[in-house]
Amino acid sequence: MHSYRLGAIGIVVTFFVIIFSTVLLPMVLFNPKPNDRSNDYSKIDKKIADAERGRKIYVREGCFYCHTQFTRLQDRGYGPLVKAGDYVWETPHQLGTARTGPDLTNEGERMASEWQKAHLINPRSVKPGSIMPSFSYLSGRDMNDLVAYLQCLGNRREVKHFVEAPDEYLTTTPAGMALHNRKTVDTAASASANAGRGIYTQNCAVCHGLEGYGNGPNATALEKKPPNFSRPYYKQYSDEMWFYRTSEGVVGTRMPRWAETLTEEQRWYVVAYLKTLPQNQEVTINSLDQLNKIEDIRLPKLSNQQYEPHHGGHGGHDTPADGDNMGPSEHQMPGSGSTSTPTTKTGTSTESGSTTGNGAEHKEGGH
Amino acid sequence: MPDLVRNVPQLAFPHLRMFHVNAVAVGWLSMGYVGSIFYMVPNLCKNKLWSERLGNITMWAWNLLMVGAFCTLLNGNTEGREYAELGAILDVMVAVALVLVALNIYMTILNRRVKKLYVTLWYFLGSLFWFPLVWIIGQRTFVALPGLNDAIIGWFYGHNILGMWFTTVGVGMMYYLLPRLTQAPLYSHGLSMLGFWGIALFYAPTGTHHITQSPVPEWLKAIAIISSIFLLVPVLTVLTNFFMTMKGRWGMVVTDMPLRFAVTSCMFYLVTCVQGPFQATRWVNWYLHFTQWVVAHAHLALLGTFSFILTSAVYYSLPKITGREFYSQGLIRAHYWLKFLGFSLMMTSLTIAGLIQSAGWAMGVPVDQWGLQIRPYWFFRSISGIMIVLGQCLFAYNVWKTLYTKPALTVAPKAKAAEVKA
Repeated sequence: MHSYRLGAIGIVVTFFVIIFSTVLLPMVLFNPKPNDRSNDYSKIDKKIADAERGRKIYVREGCFYCHTQFTRLQDRGYGPLVKAGDYVWETPHQLGTARTGPDLTNEGERMASEWQKAHLINPRSVKPGSIMPSFSYLSGRDMNDLVAYLQCLGNRREVKHFVEAPDEYLTTTPAGMALHNRKTVDTAASASANAGRGIYTQNCAVCHGLEGYGNGPNATALEKKPPNFSRPYYKQYSDEMWFYRTSEGVVGTRMPRWAETLTEEQRWYVVAYLKTLPQNQEVTINSLDQLNKIEDIRLPKLSNQQYEPHHGGHGGHDTPADGDNMGPSEHQMPGSGSTSTPTTKTGTSTESGSTTGNGAEHKEGGH
Repeated sequence: MPDLVRNVPQLAFPHLRMFHVNAVAVGWLSMGYVGSIFYMVPNLCKNKLWSERLGNITMWAWNLLMVGAFCTLLNGNTEGREYAELGAILDVMVAVALVLVALNIYMTILNRRVKKLYVTLWYFLGSLFWFPLVWIIGQRTFVALPGLNDAIIGWFYGHNILGMWFTTVGVGMMYYLLPRLTQAPLYSHGLSMLGFWGIALFYAPTGTHHITQSPVPEWLKAIAIISSIFLLVPVLTVLTNFFMTMKGRWGMVVTDMPLRFAVTSCMFYLVTCVQGPFQATRWVNWYLHFTQWVVAHAHLALLGTFSFILTSAVYYSLPKITGREFYSQGLIRAHYWLKFLGFSLMMTSLTIAGLIQSAGWAMGVPVDQWGLQIRPYWFFRSISGIMIVLGQCLFAYNVWKTLYTKPALTVAPKAKAAEVKA
């Protein structure tokens, strides 16, 4: 009997320790303060429709089995990320467990009330292919209150900026904080911009153009043209937004995810450079002909020897280059073309010798 | 198809869904479990149930509250908390019934005639101690907690109705059934104790892994995820014990139907419990959460594992209680295959649908677009559901016929059954 008594005491103690740590402790330690972002159900005049009663209808009809009410870091485009304080008044919680339908965290005011009503009565009339059941059996009052509730969801979680990086990049989240703590680059310094220019020239200029007009040589071949960074729209980009775009690329275009190839430091340098791109010019492109006049990027002629490093980078000018494009200028080292006169304005802005070619090569450039 | 039934609130999907969950959890599994406990505990203690009258009272109370659940939930009288939808009166009824069942079983075990406590009794004792508490904490009927605290308690309860009740009683039943059905001693008593304590230690704190991506405290998520991964220890211990007990006797599943149900249940248990820790980790959860993958996982546990072991218990114990062979062995086979194939189809289609949904969320594809892509899988899921329901109907018919057919009529099937077994 004694051995069992020990076991029984063990069960009781274990269980209460677990209850203490996972039920009581969170109740004591986790008390989020109410903030000014929680849903405001008093927004709609109660004489018109009662949103608080609408919440009860939402619960009664079990909407939360298919619709969630919390946005996650990765749910981009679903409105502002929720915070703990948003939920203080939400009981019973309607966080939900599965998303057979869309997330409703910030659903309020996205659609007209008449649309919401039509959707509840016959979902497929406004959303073809939807599998949501019809709630046509709701009384007129229930329906109005439910729609009022839906219109209040997230009505105080306003979008503050016209364009903003996802929360993972902002200091409001742990992930964003970690990113900013790792950051060593001062993106406002001209030295950083200088460092970024080299990286930009090597990696970005081929599509975006040396000054970010979106007219690099590769742009002619792209179905989706690179943007023109001189437009005022891009001047409101925050550092985080530039960093996010550079890191993750643009889905649906050829813009790659540079996070795969460039280090964080390199990407911050690029951001510093991007912020220095010309701001005063607005170039409107009305036809593709305008765009197809690509800027000249004069690459140096390389001999076969120069392709093979073991011959020595400088060996190229000692031995006559074999093969196709012969010429006196061939023997000039890249960067030594001091005789060359850049013909376009953009040519002067490049810094590395490898892109400021000589005139002879420019002549062969196909123009 | 969503318009098949319109304008009937009682048949609207959300109402059916909340009744489905409660009927499975409180009705089918809990009732079946209590029934099995009432059969197994006196057998293991070699005495009678402490109070058969009390047992009958709890049985009627439980059936009554299921009628109540049917009437309220289908009309949307819900508390709006997943797995805790039942209204205040029904909550209290379940709690009282559970306490009475626990009292009955505790007294039976205290008055037992064998000194040793078999591991099954450990599981039953533990479950009947902590599940009433989990139930009472989890209902939150008379308290209104702030939203996220409500969610923390909600998932503490939502996961532990599985972990501290369905799993622990279900595993206890496996410990009872496998050695009896195979006529073999349990492989190791030490392993069984390790498995029991492992579950008791690691299961209860795991609930928060359901909301790892919501703004609840990080330390709570960490506790939940770590204990979810640690759960592999008791699970693998328990299954090693079962599989070593089965060693050399696997062939018996060909003829022994209750054993076949039990072994299938163990196999599904292995799959569920490997899936669970896997999808509780942050990065897998990042991808899979909110999708039908999780629904497949939940069905794997409740239908694949615990329904199968409960069915095995019924097929094993009913002839012992009534002294009659089952009406039809053929129907048992049909039941097995309909349930097994139906469930396999359901699992596959839901998992694929879940992966499509995951990809949709990860790539930012709007719901109404990936929603069209998973329509074929809803279709397969419906077929699988029909198969399972058909199997359960055959089961019910078989039990009915066994209980209410005059003995003279059951002689022929009995002979036939013996023939099949031989």
